[in-house]
Amino acid sequence: MSLLDQAPATAAPETLDAAPEAPDAPEYLDLLFGDPTREDNPTGFAAFLAADERRQLLHPAERLLDRANLDAEFVPARLGGRLTSADRLARVLRPLFARDAALGLSHGTSNLIAAVTVWVAGSPEQQRRAADVLLCNGWIAPAYTDVDTGNDIRRTRLAATWDGDQVLLDGTKQMINNLERADLLTVLARTGTGDASRDHSLFLLDRAALPRDRVRWHPRYRTAGVRGLPLAGMDLDDCPVPASSLVGERGGAMETVLRGFQVTRSVLPSAAIGAWDVQLRVVLDFIRSRRLYGGPATDLPLVQRQLTGTFVDLLVADAMSTASCRALHLLPGHTACYAPAVKYVVPTLLADSVEELAVVLGARSFLRDGPHAVFQKHLRDLPVATLVHSGGTVCLATIIPQLPRLARSWPDGGTELPVGVLDPAQPLPELALDRLRIVPASGDPLLGVLARERDGLPDPRARLLVDALLAEVTALRADVRALRPAQTTLLAPPVAFDLARRYVLLLAAAACVGTYRHRSVLRTGDPQADAAWLLLALARLAHRLGIAVEPGPDDDAWGALWRCLLARHDAARAFDLTARPVVHGTT
Amino acid sequence: MANTAPPPADILPAHILTWVTERVAYYLECPPTDIAPDRALTAYGFDSVFALALCGDVEDEYGLEVDPTLAWDHPTVAAIAARLAELLAEGAAA
Repeated sequence: MSLLDQAPATAAPETLDAAPEAPDAPEYLDLLFGDPTREDNPTGFAAFLAADERRQLLHPAERLLDRANLDAEFVPARLGGRLTSADRLARVLRPLFARDAALGLSHGTSNLIAAVTVWVAGSPEQQRRAADVLLCNGWIAPAYTDVDTGNDIRRTRLAATWDGDQVLLDGTKQMINNLERADLLTVLARTGTGDASRDHSLFLLDRAALPRDRVRWHPRYRTAGVRGLPLAGMDLDDCPVPASSLVGERGGAMETVLRGFQVTRSVLPSAAIGAWDVQLRVVLDFIRSRRLYGGPATDLPLVQRQLTGTFVDLLVADAMSTASCRALHLLPGHTACYAPAVKYVVPTLLADSVEELAVVLGARSFLRDGPHAVFQKHLRDLPVATLVHSGGTVCLATIIPQLPRLARSWPDGGTELPVGVLDPAQPLPELALDRLRIVPASGDPLLGVLARERDGLPDPRARLLVDALLAEVTALRADVRALRPAQTTLLAPPVAFDLARRYVLLLAAAACVGTYRHRSVLRTGDPQADAAWLLLALARLAHRLGIAVEPGPDDDAWGALWRCLLARHDAARAFDLTARPVVHGTT
Repeated sequence: MANTAPPPADILPAHILTWVTERVAYYLECPPTDIAPDRALTAYGFDSVFALALCGDVEDEYGLEVDPTLAWDHPTVAAIAARLAELLAEGAAA
């Protein structure tokens, strides 16, 4: 790719094991965009900030993405695109979210959210049409929501009525990304049969073919965060569309959407880790040059703890989201549960981390100018970005009705987790979206990792932590059994949400144990550092569950992770599981 | 909707019919004797969440992966039980 020849070389680190940067490495966008800290970079942080002040997307960046045909990453290889594996897709998107959440959502997310439903249920003609649009850098707008019903798309009010060989669509869609420039739209409509699970149909529409007198376009919405995001809306007024624009079965849209969302709920939180990496990096850039109370600010124990804690949690998020992405390939019968769990846990950990980082950055966390200004932009953008697609509450609501059945298999989970879910060296079979299910298969293989891998942990302190978490699994099972069926429906009370919340944190812990057991976590060649990470990761998750395990991780564990964090920062390496070279302040 | 009328309840494998009745009664929080095998589940207010959960129960109990539309396509206890009996017989013959 000729664009890569223009990219700056990055320094090779000494202590980290070599991760050769192949031309087709997933993070090629990092090289394309170049060092974001350079003021003169037309696709650097300063340029993105200026565009955000104008409530626009950064046009040079959009052109770069077009030249790279980023959209091909959302098209399955069998249709001529570059989509092969879900975890690779997340890595492709990380450098994009690192620079600008609005660009990430606009170019890196919406087309995927729309197209994935066509890959799940579309006819060969519809799939070909959608693929062709994306392979030419076109736009497919996902029109599922309106403001009243938001993420609870099941209640969306736009209605579809069959009338011979056409369908009449009537109602409103709001807060739709890329609507104005869309070539195609995927529109979710209520078709009203009286049964909530068969009540919706999905349509793939040609925007240009919509009769002008039957559609009114709303002006763009202004948002407090991701201000460049081109959100718009439309009113359809008994608008006729061809009956052939139906995607999948009549009444089958909720199934289609829930299966497609398993992909997006796994990939998008994983992609957002790119922004989290920048937040931590920017704070480190700042804090390592500061002196406070007569010494380097980095000598302060509280500063070390907060930054190290962020690093630990970032890796927890990567462990969990990568497992879900790989499970789409290897365990498609269970991602109906694991994907919404990821979509709840990762934004939660990220939001808490960023709040702590803001404290460390201090007053500079408010500044909109200067070398650390990107921090406050991400701080504003990320909460909005989380809500744009399938927010946390909806994800927990998806999990609640599954809990009684999951609990039947605890603690060992029934079937063993395929090793490839956790070990990135294992090849992945082709992503078969038709094997995704909305009612999960029996068992809970990922949670089962806690019980199954417990004895293989060399560190007794880790075994102690896992035992405490397994006790929590037992307690949770009892609490789940005590739930009445009415408490698992759409009217689920807060107590049910709390059980789901406890479950997804235990799932995160299981992902950590499994990741530790099946790959190098910190890639330092030092097993003690990995063991320290596991202790800290599990202790922090246990703390969120209200479990105190004494003694907690000692200063040695914190120190090992702190030194690893500094080494990563020095070597300009990512803080995630890849530890790949990042283009940041390296020119 | 159901394509064929299910056979009369008294010649179905009794245990499947009993099991389906008990599961439905569990979700509706009423005694199994309150559930008539040929009455539409929607008439009992059988929530779509329960319909999906029932599919999961079928898989856990019988090892059968059924369409999530099971309760939609076979809208009574008797119809569901007949469908399960059919699937189990197919599985045994295969």
